[in-house]
Amino acid sequence: MKFNSWFVSSFLISLIVLIPVITVFASFFEATSNYYEILKNTFLIEYIFNSLTLLLSVLLLTFIIGTGAAYLVSFYEFPGSNFFKWALILSFAVPPYIYAYSLTAFFENYGTAFTILKNLFGEANYNKNIPKFDGMFGAILSISLSLYAYVYILARASFLYQSQNLIDLGKNLGFSRFKSFFKVILPAARPAIVAGLSLVAMETLAEFGAVDFFSINTLTTGIYNSWIYFDDLAFANRVSFFLLLFIFSLFILENLSRRRAKYHFNSKGGFKQKEKIKLFGIDAYLAFGFCFFIFFISFLFPLSQMLYWTIKFPENLFDLKITNLILNTLYLVLLSSLVLIIFSLISNYGNRVSNNKILNFLSTLSISGYAIPGVILAIAFITFIAWFDDSIVKSFGFSSIKKIFIGSVFGLVLVYFIRFYSLAFNGIKSGYEKMNISVDESAYLLGYSKRKTFTNIHIPFLRNSLLFIIILISLEIIRELPITLILRPFNFETFATTAYISASEDLLEAAAVPSLFLILIASLFIIVTSKYILRENHE
Amino acid sequence: MSNNFFEIKNVDFKIGNKVKVKNVSFSIEKEGDIICLLGPSGIGKTTILRTIAGLENINKGSIALKGKTLSSEKINIEPENRNISLAFQENSLFPHYTIKKNILLGAERNEIKKSKSINSGELIDLLDISQILDKFPHEISAGEAQRASLARSLITQPDLLLLDEPLSNVDQSFKEEIQEKLKKVLKNSKTTTIIVTHDSYEAFYLGSKCGIILNQELKQFDDPYNVYHLPNSVEVVNFLNRGILIPAEVTSPKSLENKDLGTITGNFVKPFPIGSKVKLLIQPEDLHHDDGSNLKFEVIDRKFRGTNFIYTLKTPTNTLIPVFVHSHHIHQHEVDEKFGIKRPIHIDHIVCF
Repeated sequence: MKFNSWFVSSFLISLIVLIPVITVFASFFEATSNYYEILKNTFLIEYIFNSLTLLLSVLLLTFIIGTGAAYLVSFYEFPGSNFFKWALILSFAVPPYIYAYSLTAFFENYGTAFTILKNLFGEANYNKNIPKFDGMFGAILSISLSLYAYVYILARASFLYQSQNLIDLGKNLGFSRFKSFFKVILPAARPAIVAGLSLVAMETLAEFGAVDFFSINTLTTGIYNSWIYFDDLAFANRVSFFLLLFIFSLFILENLSRRRAKYHFNSKGGFKQKEKIKLFGIDAYLAFGFCFFIFFISFLFPLSQMLYWTIKFPENLFDLKITNLILNTLYLVLLSSLVLIIFSLISNYGNRVSNNKILNFLSTLSISGYAIPGVILAIAFITFIAWFDDSIVKSFGFSSIKKIFIGSVFGLVLVYFIRFYSLAFNGIKSGYEKMNISVDESAYLLGYSKRKTFTNIHIPFLRNSLLFIIILISLEIIRELPITLILRPFNFETFATTAYISASEDLLEAAAVPSLFLILIASLFIIVTSKYILRENHE
Repeated sequence: MSNNFFEIKNVDFKIGNKVKVKNVSFSIEKEGDIICLLGPSGIGKTTILRTIAGLENINKGSIALKGKTLSSEKINIEPENRNISLAFQENSLFPHYTIKKNILLGAERNEIKKSKSINSGELIDLLDISQILDKFPHEISAGEAQRASLARSLITQPDLLLLDEPLSNVDQSFKEEIQEKLKKVLKNSKTTTIIVTHDSYEAFYLGSKCGIILNQELKQFDDPYNVYHLPNSVEVVNFLNRGILIPAEVTSPKSLENKDLGTITGNFVKPFPIGSKVKLLIQPEDLHHDDGSNLKFEVIDRKFRGTNFIYTLKTPTNTLIPVFVHSHHIHQHEVDEKFGIKRPIHIDHIVCF
């Protein structure tokens, strides 16, 4: 076992990523305040029940929307099918909490729906006839319409790479279109759909903004509330422990299904490109109607609602320090991308040149950060720094280091690093997997040193992957709420935190401007990378 | 210190901790010689090339080029400092560069040395890759990628060129032509080369010496004629799969006796005491057809090989003997017919085990 620089850096990265998990597990046995006893007897069951209700409903809805839309655009040609192919991923630009604001803004008493009806039909008491999408139902809708794209992208990739032979086989056995879908197409895509649903599940359990806005008590909001209102870090960590156990089982499930998904996609032999079936008449209208409805309610609706309020209350636009928000966002995005890319490159390159089993294991550990909800990461990080400061730093007589890590850009970037490391690591890894190791060896034999091989061969080859990863990281950071909310420096705001703060003060119209900017910037990133997302995701 | 251009002494070739080929020793005497290593798939031929190139380490024996030790238990010169080029069997072209750029990267190294005479134009013509120069590796066929990779390796003008199954993906119709051109360019540029292949005809044609690797050992290292006609072990005979071994008894310093074939005369490659029971190698060319002979066996199979037929005959003791007949022979024998063998039987080199 050689303890070279690759090993040391991989070990350090894994250690940093593991800090929150270790902290949560270590805190499990600590004493907590009376709040725990009160809560255990009253609300804990409610937290678990609400989390499960939310999870199962979102899974069902995202499955129907994601798989349905993917099936239509992959197998059929109808008006707009090429447009919907990529437009349906735009819902990623609308985080669940912004969707929740739009939903409330539109359907609340005297909201946008009321104004529309009033303008069309004159004054009347429409409020009692306008449905209210709030509470649990609102949360389910907000999360589902934002996250269905995970299922859509993976299912579409799976459908796309299903061989024509498979479809022909169904026809040959005399299956109807309906039967073919349930007996052939869906089972063959099952691993990909399960992988997509697992991602949805992890995101749903981690969701903070929308559930907090609708005042739903889930495990995640319980963790946040016990910290922010009762100052009980130990209890927050105890609830985190339960949530983590649940998420890790999902994580394992997702990994298992992904492994199978890979197996399914590798059917190079016998692959025959499918020809799309052209739909006519009522079928074409129905397919268009379904896709347009999804596109409208998931993207156009929140976008227009935010745009409407921005135009209606232009003073909010001028009150907001847009330049500051853009600069802050840019600062976080650039710094985090740089750190993530550098460390992920080191780790991947280390794995490639040393091919060491322990290194591989450490890398696998270090990508687990993505499965841990942002709230848990941030609170566990604070717990760890507080412990480290009190027990180690101060015992050696040094001055407190809390300020360096908590409420600082450094601390924020460090936790972003833990959260998004798997995104960067896996992105570069999949880039590297397309390059046979004999390419490196050929370079050595052409007289290239390891460093020159890295700079002259690897970097140019990975250039597109790196760009894609930077955009994905940017997209995540722009949308990210709980970590930024908990760890940001005083007076340091992003579009997400500004929107959240305004919304939590019941100033939804003020939340519209930052939300609109967030949607527009995120949409731009999605459009730039859409070709890549839709082409590459099967790998 | 020996005067050999390249030398391997008592090396165990391994991948990780798994030994693939044990205690190998062979040498290339002069610069510009071509040798071929022959053996079944998975036996460790590629491991030998990778180790010579410096991509795998050794902990026993030594590898030396031009009198300088490259690998030993203590020394391991990095691949980039060996001036050895290896053309991999699989596509190892840089995926983000065109074929032209890939080849030019090899030429950069050549320019630094400016020693021997070989230019890219000549190679491009020779390997017939002018049509694919502006394409990327994923846009060309496996055979084209292999030829492009070969061109890139050749143009570096290494001290030692290693080719791993260089023509395995090349179309059969094109193979002989490429073999001829490859041999010509290697000879003209005096490029010392080790070629790994599982095709014995390719090895016999290209190599001035051939090494046969079987059962984790280098069984024989000799010139192609000797490897074919004077195999030194039963394993080599079985691997080349051209002859059979039949039981015989040595009756004099120049003859043996077999129950089915009777007396066989010739020169023993290795002497055996009179009265020894041996296994005699009979290759298809050793026996001659004669319709007038009274030594007749039943035909049980006939293979048409273009220039010749190989008849398989069954003797009264149920031994199956292969016999070579020119395809322009005036008549053919069908299965179940009788087939005459010319007597007396004389074999130039008698190989016995």
